[in-house]
Amino acid sequence: MESRKPPPSPLVDSYVVPGDVVLDLSEMINQTIKLGMGLRQECDTIQATSAGMLRLSKPNKYWVESSQKRYVPSVEDTVLGVVVDTKPDNFLVDIKGPNVAFLPVLSFEGGTRRNIPKFEIGTLIYARVVKANSFMNPELSCMDAAGKAAEFGQLKGGYMFDTSTGMSRMLLSSPACPVLEALGKKLSFEIAVGLNGRVWVNAPAPSTVILVSNAIMRSESLSGIKQRAMVENLLERLS
Amino acid sequence: MEHLRWRPSVNEREFIESALQSDLRVDGRHSFDFRKLKISFGREDGSSEVQLGETHVLGYVTAQLVQPYRDRANEGTLAIFTEFSPMADPAFEPGRPGESAIELGRVIDRGLRESRAVDMESLCVVAGKHVWSVRVDLHILDNGGNLIDAANIAALAALSTFRRPECTVGGDDGQQVIVHDPEVRDPLPLTIHHMPIAVTFAYFGEGNIVVVDPTYKEEAVMGGRMTATINSNGDICAIQKAGGEGVMSSVVMQCLRIASVKAADITSKIKKAVDSYTTEKALKKVKRLPASLPQKVIVTDVTMEDKGDDELETQTVKTPSDAQEKSKGDEDRQNIKGNSPLTGDRIAKHKQTSTFSGGPSNWDPYSKGVSLSSLRISQLTDLATTVKASSHEDAQPMLTESANAEVKITSSSGAAGESEEAQEIGSPKSLKDAIKPKHKRKKNKK
Repeated sequence: MESRKPPPSPLVDSYVVPGDVVLDLSEMINQTIKLGMGLRQECDTIQATSAGMLRLSKPNKYWVESSQKRYVPSVEDTVLGVVVDTKPDNFLVDIKGPNVAFLPVLSFEGGTRRNIPKFEIGTLIYARVVKANSFMNPELSCMDAAGKAAEFGQLKGGYMFDTSTGMSRMLLSSPACPVLEALGKKLSFEIAVGLNGRVWVNAPAPSTVILVSNAIMRSESLSGIKQRAMVENLLERLS
Repeated sequence: MEHLRWRPSVNEREFIESALQSDLRVDGRHSFDFRKLKISFGREDGSSEVQLGETHVLGYVTAQLVQPYRDRANEGTLAIFTEFSPMADPAFEPGRPGESAIELGRVIDRGLRESRAVDMESLCVVAGKHVWSVRVDLHILDNGGNLIDAANIAALAALSTFRRPECTVGGDDGQQVIVHDPEVRDPLPLTIHHMPIAVTFAYFGEGNIVVVDPTYKEEAVMGGRMTATINSNGDICAIQKAGGEGVMSSVVMQCLRIASVKAADITSKIKKAVDSYTTEKALKKVKRLPASLPQKVIVTDVTMEDKGDDELETQTVKTPSDAQEKSKGDEDRQNIKGNSPLTGDRIAKHKQTSTFSGGPSNWDPYSKGVSLSSLRISQLTDLATTVKASSHEDAQPMLTESANAEVKITSSSGAAGESEEAQEIGSPKSLKDAIKPKHKRKKNKK
């Protein structure tokens, strides 16, 4: 008989390091679990292969969340990439991964051979990862699953800076991250966060952009209350 | 894929430039502000770690005795070596030093050497034969922009904490160089006349916009760069302006004025860091002495040769803990005395003829310096036999040793009571006295 409630791993929401045994499969018969990043099956056990926080999405999805400067592409991530080269069929885009990503010239909304966008080298692009495996270069797309542009594409103006992957995940989390909430109360700005640790900020005044970007970069190692205090401190200095 | 120098995206480039037009920098600094400077030191003398914002540089100074250059027979040498780790920046390739590595090394070298910041003549031991060659290794651990300034500070901090071992000239022909162990004689610091501080300026927008201490991103966008090496007195030691945009002479003069202010500021920061490090080190030294006591006592070993058996016995009756307490008290005096044990030794030898009261038979031949370990072993067996009756746990080597220590200290304080005075009256002992025992040992081996 299949039990409806598989016992969760005791290590959920705690830090694991490579080699930690996360789950023992011999005790879990007739159950399905899904493994994400940083986990692998080793005979009858599930072991962590990277250091980070073990997460569980009920009922059965496990993955390890880590914070690093290098991005490991995975499907359905939204990333900020910089065009490093243009080829007839693909744009070569740097997404901070181990390899450059390909962005096919036709993967734009209503893209045909006739209306290939012209991107110069250094163009900043907000895109979605559609193919990621260890044998091929990752592939990007500027369309959502329905084939619509959905905010993907070139980002004009503004300022882009690098943080860690953990920081960008924190910025995207809901409820909204304290630093963004505190900034949003006083300032109006536009922000795009890529899961590869790149953040783009745009606002009419350059001083706003600088303030927002510095507030975000400094908030990585701060708690929610400290983040709010830091933002207030920065806003006071501005006015 | 080959990683070349990192190129910023179009958005970054445009934003950095436009923000600078309205006198704003992307990290919120003012045009002439340095990033946060943090100087820390390693466990050993002559190593420093400098963090300038994100930039991270490690400096390490070592010295070696070499033959001097023929045209500068009475001067030591100073050489700068740079190591750009590929970990610091993907643009750095392992192996051969890149263009920037060579430039960095040369700029720092020029600032330090041609301004004669480090006194080279004091590094000479025997003119034409032995001089100290000081080597400064600079490891770039993280490239966050403005490597030259950070590396220069690291080099200065490392040089000002560096201590070279003291060495003296002596021996048969008076040409032999003896390098003293740092335990025996305190190592000497280098003579640094002034601190040449490198201050780097970046130019944007046809040389009209000047910023100091550019970050990694600003370096990627800037049109030109100038490094002025200047000390706190305002003396310009070196200027480096390699290509890039042309700059008006008035702008250069303005930069130099700013640089002299910055140099004074950074000099005081380095000095403060060095001072706190040296005081900390000095405090540690005082604390550490009890641990190194046994070693010191063994050096003075020879002083007890004229003490008779009875004295040995009476003293070893005391408990080892007692002995240690006493030795701790005595120790300060011993250290102040410096090389008094050696003089004590000589005096003791003079007395030997008159006051010799028949020690253990194997005692005497060893006194003139066989290896210390064998001496200790012989003592151990000796004590074990002579002292067995009086002490209980003497069989343990540790205890015998400490009991032994007691003997020496009392003996040295007895015999050295006179010897101290003798030393004070006589002229301060020359270097030859310090090296005599070593010399004798050599002869014996032959």
